[in-house]
Amino acid sequence: MTGLSAYSTLAAVSHQLKGPHIDWPAFSPLIALSVGALLVLLVGLLSGVVARERVVPMLTIGSLLVTMGFEIARFHDHTSIISGALEIDDLALTLDLIFAVAAIAAVVLSLRARAPREAGHGEYHSLLLFSVLGMAVLVSAQNLVTLFVGFELLSIPLYVLCAAEAHREGSLESGLKYLVIGSVGSATLAYGLALIYGATGSTDFAGIANAVSVGKLAGGVLGDPMLLTGIALVIVGFAFKASVAPFHQWTPDVYEGAPTPITAFMATATKAAALGVFLRFFDVAVIGAQNKWAPALATLATITILVGNVGALGQSSLKRMLGYSGVAQAGYMLGGVVVGSQLGVQATVLYLAVYLAMNIAAFAVIIAQEDDRPDGDDISALAGLGARRPWLAWPLTIAMLSLAGIPGTVGFIGKFQLIHALINGDYTWLAVVVVIGSMISLGYYLRVVAVIWMSAPAPAPARAPAGPAGPGGGVLAPIAGGSAEVDDSGRWPGSASSVPYGEVAFVALLFAAASILFGIFPSPLFHFAAHAGQAITGIF
Amino acid sequence: MSPTTFGWLILLFPLLGTALIGLSSRRLGGRAAGWIGTGAIALSFACAIGALIALLGRSEAHRELGSTLWNYDSTVGVDASLSILLDPLSVFMALIVSGVSMLIHVYSVAYMDSDRGYSRYFAYLNFFVFSMLLLVLAGNFLLLIVGWAFVGAASYMLISFWYRRKTATRAGMKAFVINVLGDVGLVFGTFFIFRHTGTLDLLGTFRDVPHVFTHNQGDLVAGCLLLLVGAFAKSAQVPLHTWLPDAMEGPTPVSALIHAATMVTAGVYLIARMHPLFEQAPAAADVGAIVGGATLLIAATIAIVVTDLKRVIAYSTMSQIGYMIMGVSVGAYSAALFHLMTHSFFKALLFMAAGSIISAMGGEQSLDRMGGFRRALPFTFICFIIGGLALSGMPPFSGWLSKDDIIAFLDHRGGAFEVLGIIGYLGALLTGIYTFRMIFRAFFGKPCEQARELEQGHPFHAEVPRNPQTGEEEDTDVGFPGPDHHIAERDWPMKVPMAALAVLAVVGGVLQIPGVDDSIARFLAPTFADSHLVRDVPSTSADWLGLAVGAAIAITGIAIAYRIWIVKPGTSTKLRERFAPVYTVLVNKWYFDELIDFLVVRPAQWSGRFADSVLERVVIAGGVTGSVTGIVRAGSAAVRRAQTGFVRYYAALVVVGISGVALYFLISSSG
Amino acid sequence: MTLSILIWLPLAISLLVSQVPRAAVGRATAVGSLVTLGIAISFLARFKLSHIGLQFLTNREWIPALGIHYKLGLDGLNIALVVLTTALFSAALVWASFREWDRPRVFYFHFGLAQTAVLGAFCAQDLALFVAFFDVMLIPFYFLTGMWGTGDRVRATTKLVIYTLVGSFFMLVAAIATGVLASEQHGTPLTFALSALQALPLSKTSQEWIFLGFAVAFLVKMPLVPFHGWLADGYKSMPIPAVAVFSAILSKVAAYGFLRIVLPLFPYASVHFQTLMLVIALVSILWATAIAFTTPEARLVVAYSSVAQLGFITLGIFSLRPEGAQGALLQMVNHGLVTLPMFLIVAALAARAGGSEKLRDMGGIAFRAPVLATLFLIVTFATLAMPGSSNFVGEFMILLGLFKAKLVLALIASAGVVGAAVYALRLFIQSMHNRVGPRVSSREIGLPEAAAIVPIVGVILVLAFYPQFGLRRSERAVRAALAPAQLQQAASLTASRTP
Repeated sequence: MTGLSAYSTLAAVSHQLKGPHIDWPAFSPLIALSVGALLVLLVGLLSGVVARERVVPMLTIGSLLVTMGFEIARFHDHTSIISGALEIDDLALTLDLIFAVAAIAAVVLSLRARAPREAGHGEYHSLLLFSVLGMAVLVSAQNLVTLFVGFELLSIPLYVLCAAEAHREGSLESGLKYLVIGSVGSATLAYGLALIYGATGSTDFAGIANAVSVGKLAGGVLGDPMLLTGIALVIVGFAFKASVAPFHQWTPDVYEGAPTPITAFMATATKAAALGVFLRFFDVAVIGAQNKWAPALATLATITILVGNVGALGQSSLKRMLGYSGVAQAGYMLGGVVVGSQLGVQATVLYLAVYLAMNIAAFAVIIAQEDDRPDGDDISALAGLGARRPWLAWPLTIAMLSLAGIPGTVGFIGKFQLIHALINGDYTWLAVVVVIGSMISLGYYLRVVAVIWMSAPAPAPARAPAGPAGPGGGVLAPIAGGSAEVDDSGRWPGSASSVPYGEVAFVALLFAAASILFGIFPSPLFHFAAHAGQAITGIF
Repeated sequence: MSPTTFGWLILLFPLLGTALIGLSSRRLGGRAAGWIGTGAIALSFACAIGALIALLGRSEAHRELGSTLWNYDSTVGVDASLSILLDPLSVFMALIVSGVSMLIHVYSVAYMDSDRGYSRYFAYLNFFVFSMLLLVLAGNFLLLIVGWAFVGAASYMLISFWYRRKTATRAGMKAFVINVLGDVGLVFGTFFIFRHTGTLDLLGTFRDVPHVFTHNQGDLVAGCLLLLVGAFAKSAQVPLHTWLPDAMEGPTPVSALIHAATMVTAGVYLIARMHPLFEQAPAAADVGAIVGGATLLIAATIAIVVTDLKRVIAYSTMSQIGYMIMGVSVGAYSAALFHLMTHSFFKALLFMAAGSIISAMGGEQSLDRMGGFRRALPFTFICFIIGGLALSGMPPFSGWLSKDDIIAFLDHRGGAFEVLGIIGYLGALLTGIYTFRMIFRAFFGKPCEQARELEQGHPFHAEVPRNPQTGEEEDTDVGFPGPDHHIAERDWPMKVPMAALAVLAVVGGVLQIPGVDDSIARFLAPTFADSHLVRDVPSTSADWLGLAVGAAIAITGIAIAYRIWIVKPGTSTKLRERFAPVYTVLVNKWYFDELIDFLVVRPAQWSGRFADSVLERVVIAGGVTGSVTGIVRAGSAAVRRAQTGFVRYYAALVVVGISGVALYFLISSSG
Repeated sequence: MTLSILIWLPLAISLLVSQVPRAAVGRATAVGSLVTLGIAISFLARFKLSHIGLQFLTNREWIPALGIHYKLGLDGLNIALVVLTTALFSAALVWASFREWDRPRVFYFHFGLAQTAVLGAFCAQDLALFVAFFDVMLIPFYFLTGMWGTGDRVRATTKLVIYTLVGSFFMLVAAIATGVLASEQHGTPLTFALSALQALPLSKTSQEWIFLGFAVAFLVKMPLVPFHGWLADGYKSMPIPAVAVFSAILSKVAAYGFLRIVLPLFPYASVHFQTLMLVIALVSILWATAIAFTTPEARLVVAYSSVAQLGFITLGIFSLRPEGAQGALLQMVNHGLVTLPMFLIVAALAARAGGSEKLRDMGGIAFRAPVLATLFLIVTFATLAMPGSSNFVGEFMILLGLFKAKLVLALIASAGVVGAAVYALRLFIQSMHNRVGPRVSSREIGLPEAAAIVPIVGVILVLAFYPQFGLRRSERAVRAALAPAQLQQAASLTASRTP
């Protein structure tokens, strides 16, 4: 139904613009997605278990792959479709690829998860696809209306998906929370957009940009409180989605409550979408007012980095911890927006790709853990994992080190490029904030690694001591004498038999391997991001 | 063979000895290690003689030769190669060192027998001789410092040779640290000089000194003073002397060799070696002279009251070296070095004799318990008498000629040096007294029971060995004085060297008799050719006058001693009561130990504890680490408190956030 | 044969040996490390004294987008340190191979990774590459300490890693800034190659804060006061081979960083902060010496003694004189050579003192172990820079350089020399001499201990006779590294003369 609404809106837009020419090949990815979504929905109606539990996911993955195919095919030719309502350029395409990958991962991870079974496979997967579609629209929006449409199209399915495990209170709660807060965000955004339209008299970015820069010359519009208030509210609206402090507070709760595959998807794809639209809007539409909004964003970034990192310290739930870490990382990436340069765009996109790899790996391990034991989300439950299940321990370790930005992992590359962009954009102080944040983050990332490798298995669900564990936060689950002697390292580096959920472990290993591989040979990533950077022509 | 070849051989043999004994210590039974060590030193003594002959075979002008093996440390302007310098002075020293060492090795072969560390002892001893020879033969500052530090290390190892004794290890530590202080002085002295001359080579430096340094130039004086610090530390001059008495913890032959005959005279050698520098910086030289004078007096006064036999001799050593330091500082080079030689003879002799007595006492060293050994130890008695007479400057013994030669020179220099001369005579008087105090108390009077036992023909053995200093029971294994004791009367390897030294102590003086013979001065002349002080020497008559006075004083001293300890035995106690304050000061060694303890040791320990407890725990752990983590923790606590989980609170914060951002933009719009 | 082989071989070996049976892993790794050592020596043999600049150059583009190169090379500054690294790692691994470690494959994997990272850091000729290796270097020790350590190991290792990475992250910003600002201020394309950066001097203000960024990283790693908060806990809980390697080699990477990167790239700042650095070094010397006087832990005596030694090395470097720098470089090698055996000896002592590393539980250990005593004595004398040891030559040069640069500081530093004698002898006497400790059972050194200690002591003795061996190789490179700073000094001097 949401899908339909999306369509109607699109139709309306296109109609109002009296049947504009539509470049179908450029449009193909979006079409593939919507068609896929509908197909999945229909197949989901079939009664056969096989149809539901096997065909649907395959179909979903299939349509996502097709989409990716189209996207890759479109690379390098940069067209604006529906008379400039959407811009299918490399920035959009790269981000779309990120969404698609995240979605595929989510599907694979939820193959045997509870959520789809309770929500119904058809619905579950089609909602996922619609949300991806929304993201795709959002990041290629060139027009306030399409922007908002995309925003909603991305959000609404997620509200539902968060509550997918209908029989689990936590899931429902998180869904509800997300809905309430999300709608506040949407409302704010809507106001902001309206004000901007009012101030500039145009809904498409080009027009707005023009008005702003003209105004800059005239000194008129820029001083106009209406425009600025509009920008302020837009920032807030985006900030909700990107979970930028102080609008981040839903993040840990929702992440913890939602079904883990969905959390993984949100953590990576949604973040990518939100930052994508940040780039679109601020580096294209209101780039003229950079001297006004850049300081504000920089301040927000700082707050976000600090809040996110200190918040993550001493969490006992892995998902909450990753939620906070996600907040912090959003802060880092905001830096790429602040500088408002092609380099900044590159850095952000690069970091998004990097971020995708490390987080999916981490969440995959969490899922495997949750399958393994009731308290699987607990950090203390990881005790002795290195000895018990190396196949899971290594990916999580790599993910953590990568998130901490240790060289040899993609995390380092991402940070490197971000700092590069910041210094290059004369925001060295923000770069320093970024590294200070990373220093604090060591406190919780390393703690996880320590539990995995350096503490004896805790058979009973032993909770990590409450209270923060700052740097030096080795204070964790009871450490029995020596290092985990009970291990049978004869199995190192382990054998598949030690892993019940093959595909989950596979995803974990795949993305962990990617984190290392691209950490050592990062050139492909840079190519990938470079295109995205050059896509936005207004800046340097 | 050329002198330098001999020079390298002199060094080679002791080193080989060390290595051989050290590596095969397990397999060497009986006295093998002892004889190997002795052989090595004998060979090197032979080479020293060879070097002497080879050197005399050359014309006066060509008696300073250097020889280099390879570059040791030559880069970025520093030029230190592995090079030796052979000239009369170094050969003279090499002869004394290797000669006396050889005799003492022989003595040790018997004396140290049955000690569980026998071969270790000789490895150390050979290593010491190597180091000492390296010191005297070194051709540049760096190598000189190396030898300088090596002898310090060897002395440390031998002082704490009986390492089960806490007294011994503490003494070793003390000696080593003070010696390191000396090394540092030497290093920085070198820097001051190197800064101007730009070379570390000795001959090169001496060549440049007159050109690069003006008279008493600041840097030169500073450098020389720092060199003196090194000299004082090695030669136990005030106030760096406190290690020497404690060094008596080592085996007696070690005291004889290192802490009487050779190592402690290194300071004298250093000043003599550096005479071109010191003559250019008289200010520094005068300091040397004054300190020497002070030391000789202070040490002598202490020697009068100390009751530990070996320590009496140790203080006497300090005082005798005071004479030498004084001598070389004022330019009486040949006289001082002459005294260095004779002193090494009679002082080694005294120590050997003392060792024999201590053995007879079963390890006991206190004069209070000794007495009447005259008949029990006839040979030792004779040797001790000879040594004592030589020491107290009794004609015609060697000490008389050499010591009073120095004093005569002082008087000749006149002026303020007269004072030093008078101090010298004062010291001579005291020397006579304390020397014969030892003799009278150890050999005369009513025999102690150990002496009586020995007269019956069975040497004394304590049933439980005890540490003479603390009286605590020895823990009997490696690293404690061997169970049985050896006296000269019964072991020919002890007897022979003592006899030899006794002869030398008597006749050693003939090498330098005013107006008759000045072979030492003539031999050393090439080294001191560039000195302007060495030329003007006292006239023969003045010399003889000095000798006469010296003799008179010596006799007086001995007479006083005779009166106090033989004629009226009670006198000493009476005097002690009469001059109680003086006595306490003296018996506490002028409180030097206490002073250093108060000024250096305590503060160091305190700062250590302070750094550990306060700086580490409070400042670093608390202040730096603690505060940072504290802030972070507080922050995370705050964040998590805000995270109530209730949407209404979130909404509230959202409102705040929105208004904040909006406000910012509104303000900036007006701005 | 390229340097890449040398660098990556240890890691490769550690991965290969994960296939051999558990019991043989240790031996296999040890043998492999000896191969690495052999390769390193072959480089030393082929090293040309006459050649100016880098040799055995490897230069590929790594991240073209950022102008980062995979550039490796050897010259006088690092050839000795590379050989030292391989030698000491071999010693440590040989020592370890005689002992049982649980999960040996993981254990030796981390050692391999560590060695690769260290060698990489020494050989790297590209700033970004150096930074990467410098940070990676740490991670294995995080695991080694946390998994095979003793005591409150997790807390200690976390402290260690966070402390060090905090420094490293500042360095990361500084490094990136160096590249970016250099390209901005000279309008050249972005590059991180050291040779290229040296030709693009930064403005004074940028130099100042960038210098501080690097300084923090290096000072934490060394560590010098007041950046040494991790030292005591970290060293106490590390397993012996790890702590030996850590203090013998990793601290050198930091000192080397000053010579290789800071002095050539930021000459102005180096001169500007010279006094500050000298004072830090001096304080560290006195501070560490004071603690070494009193600390009851044998291991901590060694730990703090190496803090003091690194203080001297820093003094030498920031004397900004060739003598000092030469001495510092020589002293890096010397200190590595004495520290590793020192830690192994401490382990041997503990094994004879009923497993306790407390000095008061030791004493009189010498009596049945003359060989051990001799080795220990040699190492002790080397540690206190006894004249005649190569350490003395190093210290002599350092002090000479400092003496010429800042006389007063040199005189104060001499207190550290005397202090070294005190704490080194204290360690020796209280463990080997005096009365036999309560739970002491003295026995002669065995093959498992000797196999690692004896060769290193042999090297110490050889160097004692021929320190020139190291000095002549490094002279040219050291002069080159100092040249910019010295020019700067001269310039500022003339400026001050003509107001």
